[in-house]
Amino acid sequence: MNLEKVISGFFIILALTLNFGFFYGDPTVLEQHNRYELFAAIIVNLIATIYKLGDKTQLGAVLLATSLVADIQLIGAASIWALGEYVTGMNVETVTAIISFSGGALLANIVSVILFTGDVLKSKR
Amino acid sequence: MQNNSLYLIIKRMRTPMYVLVVTFSISILGMVLIPGVDDQGKPYHMTFFDAFYFVSYMATTIGFGEAPYEFTYPQRLWVGFCIYLTVIGWFYAIGSIISLVQDKVLAAQIALAQFQRKIKKMEEPFIIFVGYNSLTKAIIDRLTLDGIRSVVIEKNEEKIKMLALENYAIEVPALVGDIRDPKVFKTAGIHKHNCHAVVSLFNDDVMNLHVALSAKLMNKHVTVIVEATEEEYAQNLKTIGADIVENPFKIVAKRIYLSLKSPSLLMLEQWIYGDPLVLRKKDRLPKEGKYIVCGYGRMGQALEVGLKRAGIDYIFIEASPEKAAKAKRGEKVIVGDADDKKILLKADVQEASCIIAATKDDLLNLSIIMAAKRINPEIYTVARENHINDTVVFKAAKIDRVIMIETLMVKKTYNILARPLADRFIRLMKYRGEAWGEKVVDLLKEYINNNPETMETVIDEDHAYALVRHIRESGEEIPYSILYRSREEWKRENPLLVLYVRRGGEEMLLPDPSLPIQIGDEVLIAGTKEAFEDVGYIMENLYELYYVMQGKECELSLSCKLTFDF
Repeated sequence: MNLEKVISGFFIILALTLNFGFFYGDPTVLEQHNRYELFAAIIVNLIATIYKLGDKTQLGAVLLATSLVADIQLIGAASIWALGEYVTGMNVETVTAIISFSGGALLANIVSVILFTGDVLKSKR
Repeated sequence: MQNNSLYLIIKRMRTPMYVLVVTFSISILGMVLIPGVDDQGKPYHMTFFDAFYFVSYMATTIGFGEAPYEFTYPQRLWVGFCIYLTVIGWFYAIGSIISLVQDKVLAAQIALAQFQRKIKKMEEPFIIFVGYNSLTKAIIDRLTLDGIRSVVIEKNEEKIKMLALENYAIEVPALVGDIRDPKVFKTAGIHKHNCHAVVSLFNDDVMNLHVALSAKLMNKHVTVIVEATEEEYAQNLKTIGADIVENPFKIVAKRIYLSLKSPSLLMLEQWIYGDPLVLRKKDRLPKEGKYIVCGYGRMGQALEVGLKRAGIDYIFIEASPEKAAKAKRGEKVIVGDADDKKILLKADVQEASCIIAATKDDLLNLSIIMAAKRINPEIYTVARENHINDTVVFKAAKIDRVIMIETLMVKKTYNILARPLADRFIRLMKYRGEAWGEKVVDLLKEYINNNPETMETVIDEDHAYALVRHIRESGEEIPYSILYRSREEWKRENPLLVLYVRRGGEEMLLPDPSLPIQIGDEVLIAGTKEAFEDVGYIMENLYELYYVMQGKECELSLSCKLTFDF
């Protein structure tokens, strides 16, 4: 067992699941989406990103890229939320934007997990 | 390889980044969860944005006070905890950055990346020097003045720091690296098409052999210039294809031979190396009488060959019996310390005409000379000086002739690199004999002056645009005498002398001025600075060429469209 693989796998998959947890629900109703879950998804995603930094391999580069995409989308969702709450006011358009941004991040996280699993399966040890 | 420094930074910054993310997220979450009281006394919860905003300025210790409303005590308790938590996180991150900046591995990686960038950007021809010492430094000094670029590979980091302090006119990129690692040569750009030569002038023959071998294996087109003081290494070096193998002791021996047998050739050689065209007292070795040579080492053995060829009677004094035993001519070698009066008397110092102190110890050489002078004040003294730093002492000792090995190597290597035609000229003229040498010296003195300058040029588009165009378009033959003409008055001749022309494989020493110029000729000219200026104009400027050929200015720019046919 490789401890490093356990930790990085843990964060990558946790990022995906938290992301999914936030995304799941009616995309027009904000009450079906938990703000704490979004916060947790952002933090875990950031940690997963840092974990992928400094890896010189080809796979490491792609993993980092997907992670960065997820970060940008999630932070984008949070920013729109803040903007809606304090500046423009909440309406259905803002809510769907928040949820679809997190949906985009979810896709990136899925790609990340697929790549990670593929790499683990490929390795013989 | 190139982005190693970047990866190193990123990898080292991972932990501080975790710490920051975790401390921030704990603080923000706490701020959101703990209830507060707003200005109307109603309970409220901070939103994530409020908490993020507050923690951002609290953690960075900027501090804007309590917002959006004054805090309750439970909130303050949490903030008190958070301040220490996040400040520790920041301090740790800042500390990591500072230690990273001081990290030697990172510094080396950054230096390497910078060096590679410099090599990549360099487009003009450059020369790689292996080892940075007083010798290579002096050569680089002279080359940079001529605008020739150098690159240095040196094992010792301290020496590279010294190099960085030098104010070279053009930048000299330096790489810390051991030459035994093949990667080092590659990093220094030996593969580049504009890498002109590799120079290795270690005292250690094995090291030079190693450098020459790896340089030739990496790029067989590069010119390799190495020093070799022992014959077997010189042979090995020649076999592996080192282009120029320099033996300073052989040069010394040749010079001693020349000053005994053909002083005018010696004069020419020293002139090419930058001395005035006169024979000084120090160049006139006594032609008769016995020579005492102290030290039968590398220099002594080289001198033996020179003296023997010149037909001089000589005797060696050598302190080490093993070295003395190598000589196999018992009666010519005395074993003992040469600065010992008894040994000197045994070698008949009172009768001898010349004493050569040729050991590798500068102080010993000085004391030999002093001891010999005390016994025989008339004796002609020659001393070997090994280190440039000792010059003052040697000057004070009033020695007739001081042979500086390092200076000799500097001048010689510089000549090979910067003035290849002059170097070739020296090699060729040695076969011409004393009479020829006298003739050249007389010609130089008669037509130019006692200390002419030299100039090397190539007849090509870059150096002789007008000449090349004229030859191409008219097909007319232009003799070298055209270059002699003065731009002020075309019938007058400038003080010039074409010394040497190389045309493909053909080499011409002192060619007749009526020799037609051909495109691609490489020419060595002696003359004055003013004359060289005229030569430059005649070669490059259409109008000046027209004037010296036709004897009149061309009136319209179109009318001298080179064919000159009107």
